[in-house]
Amino acid sequence: MMHAKVKNTADAQGVPKSMVQLSVPRGQDRELSEVIDGVVHSEMLLPFDDILIDFCAEFSRTLAKRARGFSELQALAFWMRRAELMRMREDFRGLATERTVLMPRGLVVHIPPANVDTIFIYSWLLSLLCGNSNIVRLSSRATEQTELMIDVINELGGNARFSRVAGSTAMVKYGHDDAITAQLSARADLRVIWGGDGTVQNIRRSPLSPHATDLTFPDRVSLAALNAANADALGEDELRDVAARFYNDAYWFDQMGCSSPRMVVWVGEEGIAKRSSARFFQALYDVTVSKGLRVETSAALSKMTYGFSVPITQNVGQVQSFGNQVLVIENDDLEQMPTGFVGSGTFHSTVVGSLSEIAPMITRRYQTLSHFGFTSEELHELIGRLAGRGVDRLVPIGQALTFNRFWDGNDLFQALTRYVYVDNSQS
Amino acid sequence: MIFDELTALPQFSLRQPDKEDLLESALQELTEFHKEHSPEYRRMLATHPAPPGTGLARIPFVPVNIFKQHLIRSVPESEVFKIMTSSGTTGQQVSRIVLDRETAARQSTALTKIMTHVLGPKRLPMIIVDTPNVVKDRKQFSARGAGVLGMIPYGRHHHYALDDDMALDVEGLIAYLSAHEGEQLLIFGFTFMVWKYFYQRVRDLGLDLSNAVLIHSGGWKKLLDEAVDNSEFRDSLQRDTGLSRVHNFYGMVEQVGSIFLEADDGYLRPPNYADVIIRDPHTWAPMPFGEVGVIQVLSVLPKSYPGHSILTEDLGIVHGIAGPERGWAGHRLEVIGRVPKAELRGCSDTHAEEAQLVSS
Repeated sequence: MMHAKVKNTADAQGVPKSMVQLSVPRGQDRELSEVIDGVVHSEMLLPFDDILIDFCAEFSRTLAKRARGFSELQALAFWMRRAELMRMREDFRGLATERTVLMPRGLVVHIPPANVDTIFIYSWLLSLLCGNSNIVRLSSRATEQTELMIDVINELGGNARFSRVAGSTAMVKYGHDDAITAQLSARADLRVIWGGDGTVQNIRRSPLSPHATDLTFPDRVSLAALNAANADALGEDELRDVAARFYNDAYWFDQMGCSSPRMVVWVGEEGIAKRSSARFFQALYDVTVSKGLRVETSAALSKMTYGFSVPITQNVGQVQSFGNQVLVIENDDLEQMPTGFVGSGTFHSTVVGSLSEIAPMITRRYQTLSHFGFTSEELHELIGRLAGRGVDRLVPIGQALTFNRFWDGNDLFQALTRYVYVDNSQS
Repeated sequence: MIFDELTALPQFSLRQPDKEDLLESALQELTEFHKEHSPEYRRMLATHPAPPGTGLARIPFVPVNIFKQHLIRSVPESEVFKIMTSSGTTGQQVSRIVLDRETAARQSTALTKIMTHVLGPKRLPMIIVDTPNVVKDRKQFSARGAGVLGMIPYGRHHHYALDDDMALDVEGLIAYLSAHEGEQLLIFGFTFMVWKYFYQRVRDLGLDLSNAVLIHSGGWKKLLDEAVDNSEFRDSLQRDTGLSRVHNFYGMVEQVGSIFLEADDGYLRPPNYADVIIRDPHTWAPMPFGEVGVIQVLSVLPKSYPGHSILTEDLGIVHGIAGPERGWAGHRLEVIGRVPKAELRGCSDTHAEEAQLVSS
């Protein structure tokens, strides 16, 4: 699938040779321009082509079997199951109109974060489904989960049925090398940058081709809101169920995921809110115990230091620990979230009278509001009050990390494709 | 007052129950003092329940890294005499400790009392296991340099045993030893350097150090990588150089002055001014003797900043209590080392972190 003449082209252009380590397809280190030419010149497929759907469904099936015990990978496999893929195809087709067709962008270069293991797969799979060629930069510190996924991809790619799909993707590793980033950027039609603000800024120093664009996913923070009276009305088991779902939102990436709630807003009358809060965090603690969560001592000390530090600069009520697992900081100064957040189960907790009262403290950085016990009207009233200032997702508690095509204010189906406008009206 | 009383008594002479009575009331007073004079400390305490435990363990502590994030003082700005900083590699945050004249004087008095306990009242000829440049280049002021400077007053006729490449100045050392033949000597250096650049060469040269006292510090991490622990260190020095008076010490910039000194049984002891509690890293309750936990250090010295009770990021074990009979009363502390750093996850600036690792 690599073209033999490519090397000469690169030499003729005087492009310096940069070697990258190939993970997909697994192989020898290769010259980057060869890798790029390989995927760019692979046969183009139309968005949601049957073979793409088959590939993704097979990926999901194999991953579900092989990744037992890795809850993040199981979630990914579930998200990519065939029924869901068919639903996605319907949604995608719904975007086209009589005069518009959605076509691939071309070469999509993905720069995922180094240590949220699954993100790069979500962004790659969506781009693949949209018919693009893809180059993914993998972190040099690949985890067990990452390696497992790469193995599955390579296995499927080795299957003759999927050779057309496999040829359009390369996953590479390289050290911190600006020349490689520059070369990738110059060839990209769309560059997808995940990771923190620093990474986005750093990658953006490498210019894109004039027609190309960036899709960036910078640092974001998230919060949860609960209707205190509705939470108060829950029985022990129901409350525990909400806490268990919240646990998934908050603890999967040690609470450092952009969508993991850092702040918990109790909406309602103060006394009820305090009572609900106390019950909820106790239930959350019980969940952490039943899940066997152990907080490493260094993380526990970081949390403790944070709990001592915040009251120095902010207006804090009590700092309450439920073991090392849950640290609750009653904090009214939420307009200014303190810096140096440490995660691992650290929650700023506050009480407001109505949901829309949180609007003034929401900034562009806020991404996800996971919610419990509100009406659609309340949620929409908040969105109206926010008027685009921040919060891109409002999802039920338990779904904060559930990825879908609507992310950080983008519709990824649209971002990963071009609208081709066709007017055939004879005037 | 308590500080003078503790200074007047011989170091390491207090029976543990008596010491705890003395320290508990002194530390309670200090807690009240700092609450009154430091709004930051007051806010930290007001938002936190008292730590689990009884007696000394009820004295509230603050985590040591709080001094990296905030400059906290219990004296008016006009009385600030000096701000000490901890060592740290580039990019790391350092602790900043505010001293007034009184606290600085207490630190200095305490350190002298503790050191003269093993060195005697007279200053000894001193060999420094380091290069002379470690204290000369003030721009590159390092933890090593600060350590050497802190010890220099306890010796005389200082001889630096190494050159800039960590090579032993053999001729210089032999000349120094013969010039001071029959005299008591003080040797000071960092544990790893003493082992790697000094002991191994001295052993091969067959030099006799039986009239020396070795004071060393700096942690065991590098030596444990070479499978050398404290008893191996002590045994080797004694066997190969005759050096038997070996005292490791444990201290930190957040509690300068109240250093823990290694006794003849190989375990550290808190001086009169200080004590130690080992806390369970899951419950933060005090742990039974013999179990590994996080070290909390208590000291009556800090008045200008609320550092009289600090939860460190070090792991240790207290191997019971020694009586005063052999001159080394108190908790028998073994320091294991730093709490291992957990790897952070999350979708923050991870590639930037990688870049920093590469460049550092």
